[in-house]
Order: sequence, then C-alpha cells, then structure tokens
Amino acid sequence: MRKRASFLLKPLFFLTFGLLFLFTWDWAHAATHVGNVLVNVPQEATDGYGSFPIAGVSPRVIMWIVAELHLMFAAFVLAVPMFALIIEFIGYRSGDERYDRLAYEFTKLLSVSFSFTASLGALLTFALIILYPKLTTYLVSIFSWTFFPYVLLFFLEAVFLYSYYYGWGKVSPRTHLVLGLLLNLTGTAIMFIADAWLSFMNTPAGIDDAGHLVNLWDAVNNFTWMPINIHRLIANIAFGGSIAGAYGAYKFLGAKTDEERAHYDWMGYMGNFIAIIALLPLPFAGYYLGKEIYAFSQSLGITLMGGTFSWLFIVQAVLIGNLFLAANYYLWLGMERIPGADRYRKFIKYLLASITLCFLVWATPHSLVASVAEARKMGGAHHPMLGVLGVMSAKNTAVNILILTTYISFLLYRRGNKESVVPWAKTGNLIQFLIFAVAISIVIFLGIYGYFVEASVRIGLSVPQVLSVLFTMISVTVIDVFMFKGAKIKGPIQWGKMPNRAQYALFFIAITFAWTMGLMGYVRAGMRQHWHVYGVLEDTSPDAFTPAFGFAANVISLTVLIFFSFIAIVFWITGLSSKRAWKPKPGPPTDGDDAAPVPEPVSSVKPALEEAGS
Amino acid sequence: MKNALKIFGFTFVVVAFYSYVGHWVPQKETYPPKTLEIRADLTTDEMVEIGQQIVAGKGTCLGCHTIGSEGGALRFPDLAGVGARAKSREEGHTDIDYLSEALYEPNAFIVPGFQPGMPTINKPPIGLTDQEILTVIAYLESLGGTPTVTMDTKLKWQGQTPAAPTPAAAPGAKMDGPTIVQTYLCVTCHNFADASHTVGPSLYDVGDRLTKAQLYEAVMDPDATIAKGFPAGVMPATLGASGFYDKISTQNLKTLVEYLASLKGH
Repeated sequence: MRKRASFLLKPLFFLTFGLLFLFTWDWAHAATHVGNVLVNVPQEATDGYGSFPIAGVSPRVIMWIVAELHLMFAAFVLAVPMFALIIEFIGYRSGDERYDRLAYEFTKLLSVSFSFTASLGALLTFALIILYPKLTTYLVSIFSWTFFPYVLLFFLEAVFLYSYYYGWGKVSPRTHLVLGLLLNLTGTAIMFIADAWLSFMNTPAGIDDAGHLVNLWDAVNNFTWMPINIHRLIANIAFGGSIAGAYGAYKFLGAKTDEERAHYDWMGYMGNFIAIIALLPLPFAGYYLGKEIYAFSQSLGITLMGGTFSWLFIVQAVLIGNLFLAANYYLWLGMERIPGADRYRKFIKYLLASITLCFLVWATPHSLVASVAEARKMGGAHHPMLGVLGVMSAKNTAVNILILTTYISFLLYRRGNKESVVPWAKTGNLIQFLIFAVAISIVIFLGIYGYFVEASVRIGLSVPQVLSVLFTMISVTVIDVFMFKGAKIKGPIQWGKMPNRAQYALFFIAITFAWTMGLMGYVRAGMRQHWHVYGVLEDTSPDAFTPAFGFAANVISLTVLIFFSFIAIVFWITGLSSKRAWKPKPGPPTDGDDAAPVPEPVSSVKPALEEAGS
Repeated sequence: MKNALKIFGFTFVVVAFYSYVGHWVPQKETYPPKTLEIRADLTTDEMVEIGQQIVAGKGTCLGCHTIGSEGGALRFPDLAGVGARAKSREEGHTDIDYLSEALYEPNAFIVPGFQPGMPTINKPPIGLTDQEILTVIAYLESLGGTPTVTMDTKLKWQGQTPAAPTPAAAPGAKMDGPTIVQTYLCVTCHNFADASHTVGPSLYDVGDRLTKAQLYEAVMDPDATIAKGFPAGVMPATLGASGFYDKISTQNLKTLVEYLASLKGH
C-alpha cells in the first residue's frame, strides 16, 4: 500500500507543476486584459516601454515576480549572517560548541542563496533595462553615483561571505567574528543603498519641479528611506529566521538518528525564536513607515490605508494573526518536551482564547460586503456591533494584546523546567503580574478612549499603547533573568521529542512570512498607482492600472511557490555536504576482482574536513 | 523524496488558501484618471458640470473632503455651502480669490480646526490644468452660491501649468451608462463594485432587484419609494444640485436605465 502511494506521488508532483505552469500562463495572459477587452500590447519598445519576447505575457507581471524573488532571496542572505554572527558570538563567549555548530549550519545555507540572489539581481536589472527603459533611464539620471559604491560593496560582501564560510575553524575565532561583522556591515550598507532607489519611487525628494536632480543626499534621504531601512532590517531577520527554522524542520523530518533529530529540533526552535522575536517590534516599525508616508503626502497615505488598498490590510491581519497563532502553537507543543512545563499547560487555553479574540478583532473590516437584504437588516454597511471593531482604536488594542500574549507564551516556555531559588521570587512574580495588569489596562483604556476623541488625538494614543507594551516586555524580561539566575532545573529539555506537526507549523510560518512579504511588496508598489515615481514620472504603459486584489494574490502565490522551489534546491545542495561519499555499486564478480582497488572519491574528504572544522 | 513532496503539497495548500482569501475581499481595478477635454467657450453651467466630474475623479477631492455628509467633515472641511462661505472666509478676498488660493496654495490659509496637508492641485500627482481648476472653482461656487467664474477669468497663478487641449465634448452629448453615473456623481453615494453600501444603497445588483419601470421611477422620483434604512430627500437634492433633472437628455436617461438594469451583481 505504501509502495503504491509512493508510486502515485511522482505523477501527482509533475501534474501539480503542469497545472502551475498552465495557471501561470493564464494569469500572465490575463494581465494584458482590461475588463473583458483585450488590450493590444505593443510588440516593439515604444514610449519608454519594452515588450516581453513571448507575445501576450505582461511585462509588469514578469518584473513583479523577478523583483519579488530577488527581494526574498536578498532578505534571506542579509538576515542569516546577522543571527549566525550573534549565535557564533554566544558560542564563543559561553564556550558551548553547539552554538558554533548551529551558526555554521545556518551559514551553509548562504553560499548557494548568495548565487541565487546575484543571479536574480542581474535578471532584475536586465528586465528593467529591456522592459522599462524610461524608468531605468530616469533612475540612472538620479542615482548613477550610488551604483559604484553598490557594486564595490557587493564585491566586498562576496569576499567577506566566502571567507566567513570557508574560514570557519580555519582562522582564529576573533578574526572569524570580525569577518562576520564586516559581512553584516557590507550587507546592511548594500540594502540601505537599494532602499534609497525604491523609497525614492514612492516619496521622491532632492529634485526640482521638472524632476531633475538637485541634491543627491536629499534624494537618498527621502521621507521613507530610514523607515524602510529599519522596517526591512527587522523584517529580514524575521523572514530569514523563519526560513532557517523551515530548514531545521526539513532536516528534522528526514533525520535518521535521535542525535540528528535533537540537533535539528533545536535549529528549528532557534530559527522560529529569531523570527518571532523580530516579528514583535515589526508592527511598530510599520507604524513609523506609515507615519512618514502620511507626512510626505496625505493623498498617498489615504490611498494606502483608506482607499484602494484598505481591504489589503484585512488580509494582512489574517496573515499576521496566523503567524502569531502558529508561533504560539509551536511553543505550546515545544513545552511538551520540557520536564516541569506541564505546570503551565492550564494557561494555554486562556492564551489561545486571547489570541483568537485579538485575531478576530484585527481581521474585522470596517465596512462589510453584504447583500442588500443583509445591509438593510444591519442598517447600513457597518454592522451595529462588529462595525465598532473595524476601526483603528480596536485594531491597535488587539495587536498590542496579541504581542503581549505571545510574549507570555515565551515567558512560560522559558520558565518550563526552571524553578527560581531567589528569596524574592514571590515578590518578583507579583511585580511582573502587576506590570502586565497595568500595561493591559492602559492598552484597553486608551483603545476605548480613542472612540471618544478626534482622529488627530486618537492617532497619538497608539504611542503610549506601544510604549507600555515595550516597557512591559523589557522590564519583565529583566526581572525574569535575575529571578531565574542559578535556578533549579527540573530536567534538561528533551530536544528531538517533538511531533512532526510542529515541523509543519514551522513551514507554515515560513510560507506565511513569504506571502506577507509579497503582499507588502504589492502595496508598496501599488500605492503609487499610475506613477513610476510618485508625482514625477507617470506610468503610461498599458499596465498603468492597479490590478484587482485577487489577481495580485495569484501573482504573490505563484512567486511564493517559485521561491520555495528555489529554496528547496538550496536546501538540497546544502544537504549534499553532509551526505556520505558516493561509491559505485559493487558489480558482479569478474576476473578482475584481484585488480588494483578503486581510489576513494575526492568528495568524501569534504565531510571529514567539515567534521574537523566544526 | 516523500517528505519533500509532502512539504511541497503543504506549501501549495497554504498559498492556495491565501489566494482564496485574496479573492474573497472586494475586487476592484483602479485606472489612471482620464484627462477631460475642456473647450474655451464653456458656459458657466457647463463649467459647473465638468468641475463636478473633476472633483469626484481626477482631482481626488472626495478622498478627504465630504459634501454635506451627515457624519461631518472627514479629514478636511466639508464642502457643502463653501460657495457662500468663500466670500467672507478671508478678509479682502472674493470667493474666486479664496477658492483659487485654496487650490493653488492650499496651505496659505488653514481653516481653523484642521491640519495642513492638502496637496497643491496644479502640480503632480494630481496636476490639474488651469482650465480644469477654473471649472472646479465654478463647481465650488455653486455649492451654496452662484458661480461667477468664467473660462476667461484670470488668476495670478495661471501659466504655471500647461494648458489643456480644447477639442469639444459638450455636456449633454450622448454618453454611455458608466459615463453618466460618473458625470452626475451617482458613484459618490452608490457603490457599483460590490454589495456594500455607502451613503445610498449599493447598485451592484440593482438590475436583479428592480424592473426598468421601477428604475425609471427611482431616478426621476427618488422619494417615491425609499430603500429601508436610507434617508429620504438626499437623492432628489443631490441630483437636483448637480443639474441632472435640467440637463439629462431622453437618450441619456434611457441609456442610464438600460445600464442600471444590466447590473446583475456579476
């Protein structure tokens, strides 16, 4: 029966890919249709636009997919060195070799990913030159001088990345840490330069009324440059952590021994930990970005939040809610492998209730899609009760409580096998409880108060809400660290004793992160509407319209599937290094049995070296 | 291999679910605003009509301003009655002075209680031409006042933006259904994209609910039958103010009813 199932899997796999190809083809064709009327896509490059060599395929969809794939790989390649370096540093300071091994395992993913990122970057550049020459020419006229440091830094990044990877165990730990630091600095600088180009497209600055460059630094340091830098830096870590966690999950599922399972369970946990820790401050960075967009242009802000894209943020709420739900679920499953953590199991139902409630509030739209009869019963487009939850006051409150709930899950997980031995433990717990109680009260009070004040005051209320949550997380963590210093351990964490469904939670988190990234890419470009550079360079191509959200969702899904197909290749290639050396199958005995022995293949030397190196 | 296939299947199901969510929300394609062709010899009434279209369309004014909203002002002042207020808003300014300053230099004078933030209307991304701005002023004057601006009115800011080409498209000329509902601002109160309601009931599937005779009555005598949950008097007043009843031709009325009857909610 198992054999038959296995026999069916391959045809199913190819059938799925075949269907995917057909859907892609159909979507790409659909992009050239406006309503039911076929638009004549120019076959020759005219008016600053080129056509895709395959007739009928929209240049915009091609650009969209290539740009998003490049961004996803770039995010991963920039993020992994950050947490690899931190983990390596922890291992260096603590002397625990497990951390060093883990950091190396993360770094192994970089080598192939870096090549993918560079190839996709080249593809993106060629696509821009061929399909959007008008835009490319304009951006070159503004940013040409930034291209030189970009290329130089890219070259340096390659040097530092490969010396960091190949130098593992070959140079002194301090030198190696410095290499890692330099790798991170160059990677971050590259991102900052690229962010200048894309943020300029949304919030141009440093140019005169005719669009000519006046001041390069002003063009770089436009309204959304620094918010985008900060948002991306944090989001990259979250995204990279989730992909690294997915790698741990993938290896866990294929592990043959308990030792392997324990290692990859730990790797999956660490990846997820990094992802969620970075996710917590992300809404605040997003808020800063949104604020700067409004500061640049209220029209742009309104298009983003209150106009064409208002429904997009409901979908984003679904995605972020799913992320929190899956992350908490993974933590709760993880508590089963911690001796003594069953003390806290009784709290899970309350945490789940809190998360579900916050998720529902966050995903409640302001106006509802309803039939005429339903709308009449409701007395309008807003539901008499649920409509109240669709406004910003309720959503800000929900997201803050959601973050606090997830933080409580972490706290319980962290405490799982520990018992505090300090004499002030009871007082410490009480203080922590009071901090939580006060913070939650502030968040809820300000949320309700927001209904009774003007919009300008209401917007300002989110700041004390956020600050009280941040204060809670920092102060409670500090108390916890001291309270559990030298704590009595009920038993070691039994790494590897994790159900397979926990690994699928990690995949789910990685996929959801990737989809969210695709969604945000769509809104970042889409909010410019029919402008390449907002208010400066108009999009006059047949694709100047903003597509319906369903179409965008299909393109995002397709991009995510392609990305994970590429990531599967990265995982496979990375995994080859730990495989045993290939040996020819012994043939039938011949007269040559007494011939000279076949020499050991060179490839078998590499794993041995790696073992020594790690 | 088996694990890889399972993971791929799982990935496929998750992204398919998110695609489904993407299709579940209201679907709308947004197109770049069309540039209206404005003749140099427009009458004041024609200017009001075109100005009204620009306010609801290319000018994107209604993203921030309301016109006689029951809920009060949105982000920027409510424009109902602005034609009367404009005469006395700033000392020494006529209504044309005040309105033109509000469009060309929107942050020169901020109405008490509101924040600055309105974009300059004759510059991108909105980028109205001088001629388009004259028609907008005519429309704004008509809200509670009598339009006095003409296409020959000279404003000190003129010449900073390129003049619009002038081939004619006279108001009242033969139009198709979507153009009529845009021209007479039906779209500002009625939703045509989905079943959710705004100021008035959604017309997304009105062809399924009303016969042509009922549609004709709903347009020409809106208060004869009021949709439950919606106030009486709003539509006759709004349509009356837009000049609909004076200007709609028999041919365009027929086209409008045919168009509404074709809206079946698909």
